[in-house]
Amino acid sequence: MKLKPINTISLGCCILLALGIVFLPHSLAAAGETYANLLEKEITITGSVQDTDGNPLIGVNITVQGTGIGTITDLDGSYTLAVPDDAKALVFSYTGFGIQTISIGTQRVIDVTMEFGTALDEVVVTAIGISREKKALSYSITEIGSDEISTVKDHNAVNSLVGKVSGVVISQGTGGPGAGSRIVIRGNNSITSNNQPLIVVDGMPIDASGSNSGGSVYNSNVSGGGITDINPDDIESISVLKGPNAAALYGSRASNGVLLITTKKGMARNGLGVSFNSNITFDNPMFLPEYQNEYGQGTGQNVPANITDLKSASSSWGPRLDGSSQLYYTGEQRPYSAQPDNVENFFRTAAKIVNTVALEGGDQRYNARFSYTNNKTEAVLPNSDLNSHNFTLRSQLSLTDRLSLDAKATYFTQELNNKVSQGSEGIMAYLYYTPRNVDIEDLKTYQIPSESLDAVSYSSLGANPYWLLQHDRNYNRREKLLSFAKLQYEFTPWLSAFVRIGTDVTNIKGESITQPGHHFNKPGGLSASNSRNMETNADFLLMLNKDVTSKVNLSVNLGGNASHRTGENVRFTSSDFKIPTRPILANTRENQPFYTPLTEKKVNSVYGSASISYDGFAYLDITGRNDWSSTLPEQNRSYFYPSVGVSLLLNRFIDPNSKTFNMIKVRGNYAEVGNDTDPYQLNTLYFVAQDGYLGRTTLSRDNVRKSESLRPESINSLEFGLEFRFLKNRAFADFSWYKIASEDLIYDVPVPAATGFGAFRENIGRMTNTGIELLVGGSPVRTNNFNWDIALNFSKNSNELEELVEDLESHTLNTTNSGNVAIRATVGGGYGDIYGTTWRTNDQGQVIVNANGIPLASTDRTLLGNAQPDWIGGLTNTVTYKGVSLRFLIDARIGGQVYSATNAALDGSGSSVESLQFREGGTVVDGVVEMDDGTFVQNTTSITAQQYWGAHSGIGANYVFDQDNIRLREFVLGYTLPTSLLSNSFLQGASIGIIGRNLFFLKKDITHVDPEASLGTGNNGMGILSANLPTLRSLGVNISLRF
Amino acid sequence: MKKYIKFLTLLFAATFLTQCTGDFNDINVNPSGFTSDEVSGKFFLTGPQVRLYAPDRFPYWRAHLIHGDRYAGHFTFGFSGCWWSDGLGYSYSSAYTDASWGWLSGYIGGLDNYMKLVQAGGEFDNPYMHAIGTIMRGLYFQMYTDIFGMIPYSEAVDADITLPKYDDQKSIYAGIIAELDEAIATIGDAEKTGANVDDVGENDLYYGGDLQKWKKLANSLKLRMGMRALGAQGADFAESAITSALSSGVLEAEGDNCLLEKDITISQWGSATYGDVYYNFGRGSDWKVGKTLIDNLRNFDDPRLEMYADPAPGGVVTITKPDGTEAALHQKRLDFIYQTLDDAGAEYTTETVEDVTTITMAEETYYIGQPTRINGETNPYVAYEFWSKPDERVIRRKNTNEIFPEIVFTTAEAYFLRAEAAVRGLGTDDAQEMYQKGIEQSMKLWNVADADIGKFLSDSPMAQLTGSQEEMIEKIAIQRWINNYTDGFEAWAIVRDYGYPKELAEGVADFDIYAPGDINGKYPQRMRYGNQALNTNGANVNTAISVQGADQQDTKLWWAK
Repeated sequence: MKLKPINTISLGCCILLALGIVFLPHSLAAAGETYANLLEKEITITGSVQDTDGNPLIGVNITVQGTGIGTITDLDGSYTLAVPDDAKALVFSYTGFGIQTISIGTQRVIDVTMEFGTALDEVVVTAIGISREKKALSYSITEIGSDEISTVKDHNAVNSLVGKVSGVVISQGTGGPGAGSRIVIRGNNSITSNNQPLIVVDGMPIDASGSNSGGSVYNSNVSGGGITDINPDDIESISVLKGPNAAALYGSRASNGVLLITTKKGMARNGLGVSFNSNITFDNPMFLPEYQNEYGQGTGQNVPANITDLKSASSSWGPRLDGSSQLYYTGEQRPYSAQPDNVENFFRTAAKIVNTVALEGGDQRYNARFSYTNNKTEAVLPNSDLNSHNFTLRSQLSLTDRLSLDAKATYFTQELNNKVSQGSEGIMAYLYYTPRNVDIEDLKTYQIPSESLDAVSYSSLGANPYWLLQHDRNYNRREKLLSFAKLQYEFTPWLSAFVRIGTDVTNIKGESITQPGHHFNKPGGLSASNSRNMETNADFLLMLNKDVTSKVNLSVNLGGNASHRTGENVRFTSSDFKIPTRPILANTRENQPFYTPLTEKKVNSVYGSASISYDGFAYLDITGRNDWSSTLPEQNRSYFYPSVGVSLLLNRFIDPNSKTFNMIKVRGNYAEVGNDTDPYQLNTLYFVAQDGYLGRTTLSRDNVRKSESLRPESINSLEFGLEFRFLKNRAFADFSWYKIASEDLIYDVPVPAATGFGAFRENIGRMTNTGIELLVGGSPVRTNNFNWDIALNFSKNSNELEELVEDLESHTLNTTNSGNVAIRATVGGGYGDIYGTTWRTNDQGQVIVNANGIPLASTDRTLLGNAQPDWIGGLTNTVTYKGVSLRFLIDARIGGQVYSATNAALDGSGSSVESLQFREGGTVVDGVVEMDDGTFVQNTTSITAQQYWGAHSGIGANYVFDQDNIRLREFVLGYTLPTSLLSNSFLQGASIGIIGRNLFFLKKDITHVDPEASLGTGNNGMGILSANLPTLRSLGVNISLRF
Repeated sequence: MKKYIKFLTLLFAATFLTQCTGDFNDINVNPSGFTSDEVSGKFFLTGPQVRLYAPDRFPYWRAHLIHGDRYAGHFTFGFSGCWWSDGLGYSYSSAYTDASWGWLSGYIGGLDNYMKLVQAGGEFDNPYMHAIGTIMRGLYFQMYTDIFGMIPYSEAVDADITLPKYDDQKSIYAGIIAELDEAIATIGDAEKTGANVDDVGENDLYYGGDLQKWKKLANSLKLRMGMRALGAQGADFAESAITSALSSGVLEAEGDNCLLEKDITISQWGSATYGDVYYNFGRGSDWKVGKTLIDNLRNFDDPRLEMYADPAPGGVVTITKPDGTEAALHQKRLDFIYQTLDDAGAEYTTETVEDVTTITMAEETYYIGQPTRINGETNPYVAYEFWSKPDERVIRRKNTNEIFPEIVFTTAEAYFLRAEAAVRGLGTDDAQEMYQKGIEQSMKLWNVADADIGKFLSDSPMAQLTGSQEEMIEKIAIQRWINNYTDGFEAWAIVRDYGYPKELAEGVADFDIYAPGDINGKYPQRMRYGNQALNTNGANVNTAISVQGADQQDTKLWWAK
């Protein structure tokens, strides 16, 4: 279905203005009301909370209805709360137990019994920040709470979602501290554009520059961006809105889903609240490649007799390591013996220390929370670390009885030193394949300054990982200022509205220095950049919620948003230092400055939703949104898209007495979303070269033929779901099926260069994602002191590129250095198909070898797999016994393939255990030799192991592996100190936890490497592994104190 | 408090007011881009002139150096300590091939943009500028088709055709010659493209806007193409192209040389030099001069020898007999090295103690070329110290001193072509005179002293065009091949066309020493098509393959059959 543009250009701003101003006078009037007496009388309410079996419930949330005043129950399930004397009711909420609201009246002691599984009333945050009862929703949504994000702390909060949310594939960036992750919800929708979800923090979309990074097979530097700038300790919850159905109201940018982050607020309380959280973990490589330790540096089973030839033979193809005295790369004679730990010894145990202190306080009129977090993370490589600071101040203020202000400011700054690059020219590439007899200690003499600044190493290439770490300086600083102010006014109990304005300013400074002597950049170079991205959103929402009759409830929301995004960038690259000892700009011979003037993008939107419920069992939702985007041509600038959904609770007809079923829900939803593009995509222009040849003015044309008739992209999605709760709410199941189709993709169609262009920009193609998601779980054991909860999720997505453009079969996303493997999106196939070379064969399927007996590579590349997993799943178990709790997560990624250039290079360099094969006596490849007359005769020529593995390592098909792996991802053993122990101390609460991540594999098909490692977080980051940093195993403690 | 609310209201209203769609068109136009009404046609000529001969480092290295200069036998890799085996390029590599294809196939966009702007009815309508563009097209399509064979020509850069067909080489040659005729006729007696902004002037890096020189270049190119087509199947246009070019006038004076001066300060990612590769990687990225070239200069006392190359570094080299399977070939490989050094007249001593042989040779004394296509196992024997490297003027680093210019078309080449025409009985020139003028111009290009030129012309047997017709053709071919040093693609075409120097054209057969590559030791006849072509225009590529022959490096092109 194509989107139909509305051809009234000015409609956008007019509606915005009209709606925006309509209720502002009310706000002004409201402000005229006198501010109520701040110091009202308080009353104290006490009580205890227990479950139906009489067990005390610990940590139940209790708030005064309509305010932020609240507390939680202690270890004995009891609580004390000071409430204003006009407070009407207390709201008790507890995960898995739903919500209960109790009128206060004249009561001063309120004891509550909560029933497990009354989650029917569970409320979740949905699009535009609207809280909805989960049972009313016609689409799937998952909410993850703060304890799951901040206990087993990862610098990147999204890594804490791995294995916990169905339908979400998170590929963790393996680029060391500060690296982001690739997040794909319900499959890839776009061929070349962003495929990752929108990040919304407290209602404001944030800038996510840096979240699609890396991917180069040569030198991949994976940065972070978006969610990595958000402090995990500040997060209250993350709602995962999966795709268009849940996210339609967010419009264009939500077509890949939304991660809706709600941050912590202050609570009304007695006195000052102080909490301190300290998290110390130690990282080590989870595992390293399996090396052989029988043969050392050399070639042809020989140690060359002079240094030049020895360094030319930089692989482990020498003779057997027999301890005899042999020439060593330093020029000395050394015992020729194995150094089994030479790779392992390069790494250090890296400490990660995250400390958070939070202060909060307030009353029913005003509350505030301030938090500061410091994160110091070392990389497992020397001389590489991260240091970040995060300051957040959040305040809520009741200006009048009806008017309230909510405001927040966050400043985040992060410094990254010597972020490690991956790929064939990254540091690991010069470490992993080190000859087996080279002592890593010797490599620490990476330079002999009295002779030359050049790197010294065991190879003629001259690459030394220590030289790189000490001299390839790489510095990156991110700063983000995130703030908003929101005014909300309650006209009547059923009608309210808010206006909000928020800004996100992100500054990124990068500096990289290659000092003279670098093994392939002897003259050295320096580059620096400074970029600033800003996003301002102003929006309003009018909210109506009214019971029309006793059985019919109507909820209507109308809103508008004006989004203004800007970017600017200054950078220079210079090279060739005049005086080699000082890497500064003035000291370079060549310098190229770049300056990008302010790039602007504006999108205006109006949207609305209506929900009608009937008698608490039937729900109908309708939404609509119209966007006006500055990036599209005038005639196609405005586009509208709707969604409709139905949810029915059938249990009252099927099992009215809840004998077995507590809930049976069916739901269906259809949604459309339009999508625009980046600025400056319409006009073909001429560009002047800054360094014109010999000083001449030179102009050139874009290599892409732009189009002035681009239309918005269209994505539509159909979703059905079935949910059950049964056995007294002790068990639950949730099943979803969806099909997402994206069409009219804005794409640079590669055309033959003979047309004069590299590509024509057009709307083309159709890509679909079809999948199922299943979540089952429950509480098999609930006794006095012992509880066991279990949850299992499973999701399977299949992606198909149905059409691209006539005569174009595929789009190449990435290729290896030698071109033996390409990652593609192919028509009729999927996104991330892996194509590669195989052994060359004749018509009979016999392997063809050359005159020297060496097997050859096929001339074309064939389909060898796909980089997307077939299915993913996670199993979380939580066992609690009194104050002790144990939680562990096992997650699985099954199906899908990956090409490992690392494994190929380990074999090619004679380092791997596999390369021991054929060392003595060589092998005769079972193949045929082609004669000049075109006939084939059986091969009889023997080749050496070095020749065999040299040929073997060049073939793509030999290194495509299944990604299948199951691992113990997370482990937390926690203990909460009983209140009785603390009663005489200044502490109000304390807990301690032992935490672990990436502990071990239960199953893994590929050898040497982690199949989930990646070269980047962009579309080109999947399917190829090459000298990645090892996956890290973290072990540590978490201490939490409340004063 | 009231003020506060008012402030927020204003802020809110202001945000929305400025957010009307009124400025949407303005903010979506890239301020870094120019439109045609701000600029002039000549600014679009310079880029295409540079990019064909001095592109950025990626194609400079992957196309020009790896394929052109090495297939020509001028440069060699694969000495001991070299990063690259000398089999590189003889075995198909999709990455290097795709880079070469990407550069040449993608080149046309910039030139075509210039042509469309200056054509009749274009924004900067100027027939003379258009004629210059047409001659550039000739240079481009000749280089492009001589590397790959059939390519899109007649349907290229047609706005209505997305998938242009591949033309056979005969039609391309005929087409270019006709285009050159048109340009020659348009130029007539005109001297400049116009006045002020209409004068291409200094934006024309080849001739500074001198149209008469462009006309000579057009005729010279026509002569080259006619000569290459001569004798090929169905090349009925060749003879008339040769004779009409000769009568209209080709490059004659030293100042007629069409050269592209090197920019010695520009970034390697704007335009590269050999030095950008040679010096960036340490000794491993050095390369050597090929044996055939050095032999042809040294054996005839050619004074260009010391202009082209440096003496071998010499010194002490140790070679150890390997264990294992390679041991059996140790003596054979050692003997191969001794033979090569002996042939070059080098004096050296050898001493063998147990398995270690030490070879000592005087430093910086002998000119010795490295044999081409050495295999990986022989690599340890081919020590760095034995071989001559290119002269500093060729491989010099940027930001230091003058670098030898890029050859577009030399006056010497025009004389050699005239000599060949005379040998074949075409035109009215004297073969010996033309041949010697060619050698003279070639030497002047390399700053050889006049006295040395005179001595060579009078004394060297190589300077005398004698013998049978075939022997004369061989000499002319070898001189053209020597003259095109640093213009590898043209030099490679000469070897393929004439089969000289024989040593190169015959390929290699002893795989104990040489690398067979994908073509069993045969001499490469073309490069394979890039994957971009198969991906975007597969059907037309396959049609071309069915006409031309398998998409392999040993499939001979139309004029080489």
